[in-house]
Amino acid sequence: MSDRLASGTGTSQIGGAEARASRSLAGLLIPIAAVGAALALVPLWLGDSRVLMGVAVLGLAYACYTIAFNVIFGSTGQLFLCVGALAGIGGYGGAILADTVGLPIMASILLATLAATLTGGLLSFVAVRRSLGVIFTGIVTLIFSMSFDALVLGLSDLTGGDTGRLIKSGADTFLRDRIPPYYLMLALVLVFLLAHGLLRRSHVGWAFRALRDDEVAAELAGVDVARYRVYAALVGAAMLGLAGSTYAFTEGRISPTTYGFGEVDVVVVVMLAFGGIGTLFGPIVGAVTFTIVDETLIEFGQLRQVAYGILIILLFLRLPRGVIPTVASLWRRVRGLEGLGAAKSTDSAAGKVEAVSGEARSAE
Amino acid sequence: MLEVKGFSAGYQGNDVVHDVAFHVDPGEAVMIIGSNGAGKTTLFRAMCGLLPPTSGRVLFEGDDITGLPAERIARLGMRFVSAERHLFPRMTVQENLFLGAYPRRPDAETMSIVLDLFPRLAERRRQHAGTMSGGEQQMLAVGRALMSKPRLLMLDEPSTGLAPLLAQAAYEALGVLRKGGLTVLVAEQQVPLAMAFSDRGYVLENGFIRLQGTTEELAANPSVRHAYLGVT
Amino acid sequence: MIANILDGIVLGLQLGLLAAGLTLVYGLGGVLNLAYGQVAVISALVVAFALDAGVPALPAVGLGLLAGGLLGLLLDLTILRPVYRLRGEARVLLSLLLTLGVSFIVDGFLNWRYPLEALSLRIGGGAVDILGVPMRRGSLVASAITLVTFAGLFVFFRYTSLGRAVRSVIEDEEGARLVGIYPNRMLRLILVLSGVLAALVAVTRSMVTPVDTTSGLSITVFALIVTVVGGLGNVAGALLAGIILGIINVVAADLIGTYISLIILLGAAAVTILIRPAGLLGVKE
Repeated sequence: MSDRLASGTGTSQIGGAEARASRSLAGLLIPIAAVGAALALVPLWLGDSRVLMGVAVLGLAYACYTIAFNVIFGSTGQLFLCVGALAGIGGYGGAILADTVGLPIMASILLATLAATLTGGLLSFVAVRRSLGVIFTGIVTLIFSMSFDALVLGLSDLTGGDTGRLIKSGADTFLRDRIPPYYLMLALVLVFLLAHGLLRRSHVGWAFRALRDDEVAAELAGVDVARYRVYAALVGAAMLGLAGSTYAFTEGRISPTTYGFGEVDVVVVVMLAFGGIGTLFGPIVGAVTFTIVDETLIEFGQLRQVAYGILIILLFLRLPRGVIPTVASLWRRVRGLEGLGAAKSTDSAAGKVEAVSGEARSAE
Repeated sequence: MLEVKGFSAGYQGNDVVHDVAFHVDPGEAVMIIGSNGAGKTTLFRAMCGLLPPTSGRVLFEGDDITGLPAERIARLGMRFVSAERHLFPRMTVQENLFLGAYPRRPDAETMSIVLDLFPRLAERRRQHAGTMSGGEQQMLAVGRALMSKPRLLMLDEPSTGLAPLLAQAAYEALGVLRKGGLTVLVAEQQVPLAMAFSDRGYVLENGFIRLQGTTEELAANPSVRHAYLGVT
Repeated sequence: MIANILDGIVLGLQLGLLAAGLTLVYGLGGVLNLAYGQVAVISALVVAFALDAGVPALPAVGLGLLAGGLLGLLLDLTILRPVYRLRGEARVLLSLLLTLGVSFIVDGFLNWRYPLEALSLRIGGGAVDILGVPMRRGSLVASAITLVTFAGLFVFFRYTSLGRAVRSVIEDEEGARLVGIYPNRMLRLILVLSGVLAALVAVTRSMVTPVDTTSGLSITVFALIVTVVGGLGNVAGALLAGIILGIINVVAADLIGTYISLIILLGAAAVTILIRPAGLLGVKE
């Protein structure tokens, strides 16, 4: 059991990773299946309400986005503040291709996903070429986000501008029913989790860990840091494009707020930070928690933002590693296993945040 | 004037300097000599508030200054010129000197004393500190420290990066200051230079004070001669 | 075209002054204040409420500036305390995250409580002719105030003892400590100053176009972009970047259209960052 938790947070032991890979495919599949089974039961409970199912589908979409962000940022430390924009390329791209250009839905989704993938890869390539650090990568991707937003508003003939557009394609299919979209998005979530899990267990995952822990050492050990960063961005962007476009077709209408920075990026960062940056199931924990919290607080309207602000502050001061690593730590301590090395999150993004909070607290 | 007792300091739990004790009396020139890595810089940085000590006391003119932040200590009459000098590169020589007197207004008299001592600085008054040569930067660093009319001047390896003639000139300038009544504590790797200048000294090795005595005593000491003066 | 350039300069001066506050705080304290726009908005609201309460214009503005300064002080005393124990990138990241949280709290609260409030200072009198272009008095007064403020900043940093001390901390913090300058006190001073500058920009902006409770985020983002393009820690760079980006924005908006011009502006900023990450006048490390 503690093995699974340990593998959830990741270490940089080479031999250990390979050993784990060969024996724990079950260790990957079983928890994912468990999560899938648990989430599959949700429609039994909420299935009667179209509104609530809509919220659940959106929650799963956010889970997809968060997994993607985890792949990009959690694995290789690239602060991509353009999650919404990349998903938006998928969403708006798919909608335009299907409605305006007339392509079949599948083709539209595929092409839109491709567009998002290439964009994400390009952004990463540029950032890597110019050796932009975390902060500057964040700023440049933020600028990209804002540009995408302006583009959507500007090309209002195609995109419906401020009010958004309806998506006619797929209107009479199962995509717009109450329950099937939920299982469709759930399938995506599980596939993404599997993909991420497999990636971590592969040599690519090993490279990711190496470059997170110590970039210089990784370069010296022959890891082409640039290449792996771009790989992670390509995978993450593909996930975003796919999730964004699939979600658009299930919703039937999209607008700038569907993929806006404030609506998507900020939420995704908080979800991941809450769940645990770099952990496999952190995105799920974060997305589920937040969807529930947000829906519960819905009547407070604007005041929710105040709550989120307080939450961000508390989160980064007190719980920087996120829920999963903290719980894993507690569990190990309870079992008397703390101090056996392993699962302290060594990922430099979470590590930085942890070091940040740790130093802040120890100096108090 | 300066008393250090049982002083230890280091980085991240590992002490580099162990249980050091020494003193400096008013008007004296005292040297701390040792090779690279002996702990001289760590010792000075911890004494001056740039690094928290692990244990021990530092007393300056009777007041306990242990663990005070560097900016506080700098205002008490004890000035430190570090080996990296830490000048303000995009500010002029004049601005650097003015800042030496902070928070007081730069005193015209002190300014002229410093410029007399280092005529090269007077020539380059409006030059940016970052564009000056090593020797000029060293002069500026010392000059800046002097602007506050300190009673004790601490220097960490003032000869760093200076050609022999310039290092010589630097110590000569310090000698002039001494005659004016300044108390000086210097850490130095180039032992002959330090010996020509100081009255007394301590030998620091691996973070411990191994020997102490007047310059004559140390100069005559066989292990000192062997290790630091190249005598076999 | 000349009209566009003049309008661009008006906008640019304000962008520059806005960025000046943000860039000083970063250059001195290694802290990114994402609640900056909220400071501007709150100050604007204070002025608006004072005016509603019958306070005459100048004292009302004074109150706004005071509010800005106090907010800067408040940030220093509260949310930035844990940030100060860190150094380098960790410090920037934490300051960014915590101030982002603050910006949410403020934004959420303001939009909930005062959703329709806005500050708009109308400067009476007809248009004035500049280079053959009729300029609104509001724009001219705003620009004049901004220019005077920049001049004031210049004099402060160049010729006063305190200004020199602030610069020295930006140049070499350890060196500053060794001459008895307290970096933390200087940072506190600069935070207060940045708050006042944010308030000043909000007030002068309201002479041109209303500043309302939703402006917070866009103010912060624009300030950040101009700051980065100008060079972090560089006030002259902020001014230069502000003017250039302001002109680009207005000219492009006129020639092409609002949204596309925004993209051009953002693109110009991104290109500058990519070609020269240190910024226009920044120093390459």
